[in-house]
Amino acid sequence: MNLQRISAIVVKEWREIVRDRLFFALAFVVPATLTLLFGFGLSLDVENVPLAVVDYDRSALSREYAHRFSDSRYFDFKGQLSDLREADALLMRGQVRAVVVIPEHFEQRLLSGRPAEVQTLVDGTFPFRSLTSKGYITAINASFSAGVLATAIAQTRGVSVEDAAAALQPVPVEVRYLYNQSVKSVWSIAPKLLMAIMMISPPFLTALGIVREKESGSIFNIYSSTVTRGEFLVGKLAPYVGISFLNVLILWVLACFVFGAPFKGNALFFALTALLYVICTTGIGLLVSVAVRTQVAAMLGTAILTIVPAVLYSGILIPISSLSSVATVIAHLLPGMYFANITVGSFLKDVDLGELWPDVLALALYATVLFAAGYRLFHKRTAT
Amino acid sequence: MEAAALVDVPAIVARGFGKRYRGRRAVSGIDLSVGRGELFGLIGPDGAGKSSLIKAAAGVLSFEEGELSVFGQSLAGDADAERIKDRIGLMPQGLGQNLYAELSIDENIDFFAQLRLVPKAEAARRKAELLAITRLERFRDRAMKHLSGGMKQKLGLVCTLIHEPQLVLLDEPTTGVDPVSRRDFWAILGRLLRERGITALVSTAYMDEASSFHRIGLMFGGQLLAQGTPEDVREQVGGTMANIQAPDSAALLQALGGRYPQVDRLGTQIRVFIDGTREAARAGLDPLLAAVPGARAEYDAPDLEDSFIALARQRGIATLPPPAVLKPASGEAGEPAIVCEALTRDFGAFRAVDAVSFDVHPGEIFGLLGANGAGKSTVIKMLTGILQPSAGRGRVAGADMRSAGFAIKERIGYMSQAFSLYLDLTVEENVRLYGDIYGVDRRRIGARLDWVLDSAELRAYRGERAARLPLGLRQRLALGCALVHEPRVLFLDEPTSGVDPIGRRAFWTTLQQLARNDGVAILLTTHYMLEAERCDRLALMYAGRVVAADSPAGMKAAVERESGVLLALDCAKPEAARALLERRGYAYCWVYGAQLHVLTPQPERDLAQLPAWLDAAGLGPARAQRRSLSMEDVFVHRVTALEAADRKAAKAA
Repeated sequence: MNLQRISAIVVKEWREIVRDRLFFALAFVVPATLTLLFGFGLSLDVENVPLAVVDYDRSALSREYAHRFSDSRYFDFKGQLSDLREADALLMRGQVRAVVVIPEHFEQRLLSGRPAEVQTLVDGTFPFRSLTSKGYITAINASFSAGVLATAIAQTRGVSVEDAAAALQPVPVEVRYLYNQSVKSVWSIAPKLLMAIMMISPPFLTALGIVREKESGSIFNIYSSTVTRGEFLVGKLAPYVGISFLNVLILWVLACFVFGAPFKGNALFFALTALLYVICTTGIGLLVSVAVRTQVAAMLGTAILTIVPAVLYSGILIPISSLSSVATVIAHLLPGMYFANITVGSFLKDVDLGELWPDVLALALYATVLFAAGYRLFHKRTAT
Repeated sequence: MEAAALVDVPAIVARGFGKRYRGRRAVSGIDLSVGRGELFGLIGPDGAGKSSLIKAAAGVLSFEEGELSVFGQSLAGDADAERIKDRIGLMPQGLGQNLYAELSIDENIDFFAQLRLVPKAEAARRKAELLAITRLERFRDRAMKHLSGGMKQKLGLVCTLIHEPQLVLLDEPTTGVDPVSRRDFWAILGRLLRERGITALVSTAYMDEASSFHRIGLMFGGQLLAQGTPEDVREQVGGTMANIQAPDSAALLQALGGRYPQVDRLGTQIRVFIDGTREAARAGLDPLLAAVPGARAEYDAPDLEDSFIALARQRGIATLPPPAVLKPASGEAGEPAIVCEALTRDFGAFRAVDAVSFDVHPGEIFGLLGANGAGKSTVIKMLTGILQPSAGRGRVAGADMRSAGFAIKERIGYMSQAFSLYLDLTVEENVRLYGDIYGVDRRRIGARLDWVLDSAELRAYRGERAARLPLGLRQRLALGCALVHEPRVLFLDEPTSGVDPIGRRAFWTTLQQLARNDGVAILLTTHYMLEAERCDRLALMYAGRVVAADSPAGMKAAVERESGVLLALDCAKPEAARALLERRGYAYCWVYGAQLHVLTPQPERDLAQLPAWLDAAGLGPARAQRRSLSMEDVFVHRVTALEAADRKAAKAA
């Protein structure tokens, strides 16, 4: 390893990146922009579901039932409808996503101790939101039923409504949300987004940077000179690792100050593991670049290898534990999941090496394998 | 002992060298030896195998067959190849492609110097020297992407030489560069190699550059056809060139019958390559000529391109098309098909085309010459209606291009540099597509397809995808597509870039038939000066203006009248000889390979006087010879004079 040669390559590469507008944008603008776009757009909280009520009963109890929904922060009450046809039309146009239909004689049946069937119509086009909406409706309905039942028991048994309610629910559930007390999805998404963006951006930069030289022919300057493979790879990749690390810091600032995510962990531990992670993902770019010859192929290869895994197999949308068995294996083969554990741990939980050492070890292993493969496959003499 | 033995080892030795790409054989059976200090030229068209050999010799391409060694070091394995890299410099193909666009001249050179561990002070010294020789000092801070082609090429050379390698490998360093820059490049390269004792293996597609080399290897179809000094190679091939002038060329061709396989038409001449000595040639040809009224033959040694074609023909790896049988010229034929009247185009403050006027008649092949950026393509774009002129008028096939509607496009054909074919379509699909684009009647397209397949000899390739055709066939297909609607006017923008000499001949035969027999007016641009000789008339463009317009012979005569006759001087130190003659008032001298070329108004006196001077100055032994000017000489002479005038004007201002 000759430092002069390495530094010559580093300096040249750096100049090219900062002077070429496209590369400059790719290096410094795209990651932050993607984070902002995804951060604002990818809220997984289901709130303000537009909801309407068709009340055929129009009694005091039916109104109270409807109030339970219109008062909830999860629903955006769009008003009372006169009949089902109107509800259908609104659902069709997507103006409401859920309709609660209260049948005739609702109050009468309940007061006489008979069940009354309430029909709810939920727009199923967004399954995730639909399921969550269904959950909300079920919960509101259960609480209402319990109230009605408690009142009935209180009146028949002559006990207080509170006692009746307590007797009805012998095992009360008390949930305390840990780490993300107000269960804001952006708190957990922001750190995972940092992971995902840094899974995508460094390989793109690296693969394009190397393949650009192959495409233009300037790689022959390297092939035909006395630079060793190792010197070239270190010199060529160091700027990309450096830029990517800088991006980690930028994204960290965005996560904390734009999206308001808390950072509870050890900053030094986080910085070091982030560096390890970008070395890892830079290695993915290196591997792509030795396999292809054109920048278009490099883009495609990198996109397939990074975007899908970063979004689907790293726990950003679906927790790893909920993936199918095949998908779980895939997730374990990719570095994103391990670093997701580290970011979530560092941001929300204040855990470090003591708990996360398996993840750090996996990343280190990953980096080693990628670079060893890249080094083995990079030749200064090619067959074509 | 060992050191002495090393010096005797040639720089490059190839034995049975061969290279395959995915099983397809690109090069085979190359035996070659390049001595120390030699400037060896690999000459051949695209796809001949030059790059494979150069890259393999630089240790950046593995190979499957034979042996290859550099400075006695075998290049069999990857690790072996690494051992020569401290002593070599490679300039890969593609103008400036290996340089870094965003970096300045200075930064590019510094990068190469650091990469090669040249000590700082030493690097600075060499850089200053090389920049002075290449005259790039003034542009040190300019980003590479803003350099002209000639400057990029010289910067590439500086970067390749900054670590003072013992061997440089230059892959087509002059492709795509105008003749002035090319000649400048060869002069600089020759000087640097001589001064430093560097060995060079250089490839080129231009046959007329052969005299720049000590020895050459002619390559075609993956084979090395011949090697030796340019003279040796011509002698190995032998043969005689008969340049025949006859009033009725059709009768002449009929008299020649099919006896001679290599017949070619150049202007009004019929050129016949005859295997055998001059005497034998004369004995065979003179009786035939006696039967043709007014036919007169001059016998000459063949030039390298003729020899190259003869070799390929003798080896059976190429067949030549018969020469075009043309109708006799009918004199000036009516209305011109293309008229430019003070055609001007501005791009912002920059005037790309400045009051250009010329006209092209039906049946005429008109050539537009000029360096990159001289305005040739802009003229063509205005005449084809792609660009609006800022001032002046262009009339094509009787219509003013400023106001002409779409209908005019059906009367003109256009073929661009890149051949503009759809590479994923077959030959037939391409022709049909162009037929539809140009609005050829559906019922007629079948007949036109047959015409294209026959005239371009593409019938066997009908279902083949364009991407799989060799370059020469692709070019003919592109021409066929441009002609599918039987246009009256044809525009060709550098139509023969990279095509082999045989392919170019076939192409020209077609052009001549189109012009003479079908009365098509043809306007073309080219960088090949040998090709310019084939045009009926030429216009030379410089900085957006037409600075000379005449027939090739007329242009040469004009230069001889103004500046003198060309003398070629063989001498030991051409560089020093040039300096000496310039001091003595000879304004037009340039180093050309191992020779010095001088223009003199008094050739008779100088034939004796100049060698005497050089001998007296210790630069001899010198020998002078009268030479006829080539189109390249004319181009270089005109453009250099204009550049010098521009510099003077800039200095005065």
